[in-house]
Amino acid sequence: MKGAELVLQVLQQHGVDTIFGYPGGAIMPIYDALYQSDVKHYLCRHEQGGAFSAIGYARASGKVGVCMATSGPGATNLITSLADAMLDSVPVVAITGQVSQAVMGSDAFQEIDVLGLSLAVTKHSFMVRSVEELAATLHQAFAIARSGRPGPVLVDIPKDVQLAEIAFHSEPEAAAKAAPIYTSLANAGKARALIAAAKKPMAYIGGGVHMAGAMVQLQQFLAANPMPSVTTLKGMGSVAKDNAHYLGMLGMHGTQAANLAVQQCDLLICLGARFDDRVTGNLQKFAPHAKVIHVDIDPAEINKVRFAHVALLGDMQQILPAISAGADCTEWLSHCAQLKQQHGWRYDHPGERIYAPLMLKQLSERMPDNSVVCCDVGQHQMWVAQHMRFSSPRNHLSSGGLGTMGFGLPAAIGAKLARPQDTVITVSGDGSFMMNVQELATIKRFRLPVKIVIVDNQRLGMVKQWQQLFFNERYSETDLSDNPDFVALAAAFAIPGHCITRKDEVESALEAMFTWPGPYLLHVCIDDKDNVWPLVPPGAANEEMITETKA
Amino acid sequence: MNHVLNITATNTPAVVERLLQVTRYRGYELAGLQLTPRSDAKSLNITLTVSGDKPIHLLTSQLHKLYDVQQLELVSAELAVLSA
Repeated sequence: MKGAELVLQVLQQHGVDTIFGYPGGAIMPIYDALYQSDVKHYLCRHEQGGAFSAIGYARASGKVGVCMATSGPGATNLITSLADAMLDSVPVVAITGQVSQAVMGSDAFQEIDVLGLSLAVTKHSFMVRSVEELAATLHQAFAIARSGRPGPVLVDIPKDVQLAEIAFHSEPEAAAKAAPIYTSLANAGKARALIAAAKKPMAYIGGGVHMAGAMVQLQQFLAANPMPSVTTLKGMGSVAKDNAHYLGMLGMHGTQAANLAVQQCDLLICLGARFDDRVTGNLQKFAPHAKVIHVDIDPAEINKVRFAHVALLGDMQQILPAISAGADCTEWLSHCAQLKQQHGWRYDHPGERIYAPLMLKQLSERMPDNSVVCCDVGQHQMWVAQHMRFSSPRNHLSSGGLGTMGFGLPAAIGAKLARPQDTVITVSGDGSFMMNVQELATIKRFRLPVKIVIVDNQRLGMVKQWQQLFFNERYSETDLSDNPDFVALAAAFAIPGHCITRKDEVESALEAMFTWPGPYLLHVCIDDKDNVWPLVPPGAANEEMITETKA
Repeated sequence: MNHVLNITATNTPAVVERLLQVTRYRGYELAGLQLTPRSDAKSLNITLTVSGDKPIHLLTSQLHKLYDVQQLELVSAELAVLSA
């Protein structure tokens, strides 16, 4: 068989039945092999969209997402999505075609140094030099993508390698298993002592917990050690909905209760999180009274930005039971409950116009159980994190580390294909939506029943908010009041839609969207003056939140 | 402050670029680089001298994660001053 056919054989050995991509010259042999393959290929309309779909597929399912592109522009178009997967630790294998080795290095047509470009945006990358090393390299790519702290891996395959003949050996054992996780519980006793001694412990939960498959262990830990908890953007949905001590998201747009309680705590138990600057605000002033227990799978995160008094490395499933110490902090729990009550969200927004936080709360309450919500980036993204509740981080796909506009729509395509039985909703902004709007064609082609909610304030809202607050209201290039007619745009892709502008239209519009069996676009017009509150201004400590009334 | 890192790495086409990319991105300056293939040519012995104000563990922990890095040993900073 040819190298190209071998690629598909190896993909199937890894259980891959869905891939996203776009053909082109240097990857034509693989597309030719695909023509009669059982692997289902979903044609994106821009490689960035295809790779975001692979990310959405991976994040919604927990499997490795796979995408393909040709050499040159096809490969460069993948870069943003690989960076997104890198910063959010998403297991993705990207396969790129490369010009034949005979012309490599000669600035051949559609030749670019993809291996060089990949260095900063992948966990690892390969250039395959001969067909003999092709299968082993692909096995290794899958093993690396999903092992330890997951991430994207790129495999660049020259056209001559794709065309070369090789005898096929079915080598099931070669489907390299992920390297075993080394877990050290040596510091577990120290962690238990800190937890037992703490008067004001706080669990700070990131995306690493669910990625380790430790959701059950987390609930058990929080039940055996009743303490307040907060989550990062990627950790949302980790804490069971019925846990009364959960305070919401912390950080720049976190809840007041979460931020105030973290600032007051005396022990911060960081579980699969990395003290990101959007979480900590002013690092020197972050949780100033807290000792830190840091649990992670990546040794490089320990003491990277915040000193850990106790660090535990390895498998969260083993570590969480080992550090359970029976925390007892009734007074602190009731103090945090009071903070939560005192600083609850208010939805009594005056006037007829739609208030996005309330609309998203209504959406959250109305969407079927286990729905997946895919966001873009900006104000709507923070409103989703603040006002919607999720039962699993796999149900809330939001571009966290890289903050990539254009993520939501293609991610939703991937999520829908990973979980066809679940409702998938994109919540996007009028700015973000236009960044990968071409993927409406993918939705049309495969009749994917993705629900699209565009929160439209005719602005690049988050940038506008910062211009208003920190740049003397100089609204440089954030006016989008000449947006296209989104409902007409959807109609061009055979997607029905509806536009609403008033609060009293929301419930019936959501009902119509969910009742319609296919894809649907709901265009929600809001006031451009609405901003995201609270907000921790740059350089400030997390207790110095600006709230709507103060602003 | 100069730090000397003795690294054994798989001899892959991009391995040196990877080391240098991580070094630059994490905020350290390159102060020296020596590279010798081992007898089997499958591995390289690399001596990387870097300077930077940040604690060196912030670099070594990231270099450790590179798949091509087999071994990484931090030679003491004093030695680095002597050899500089």
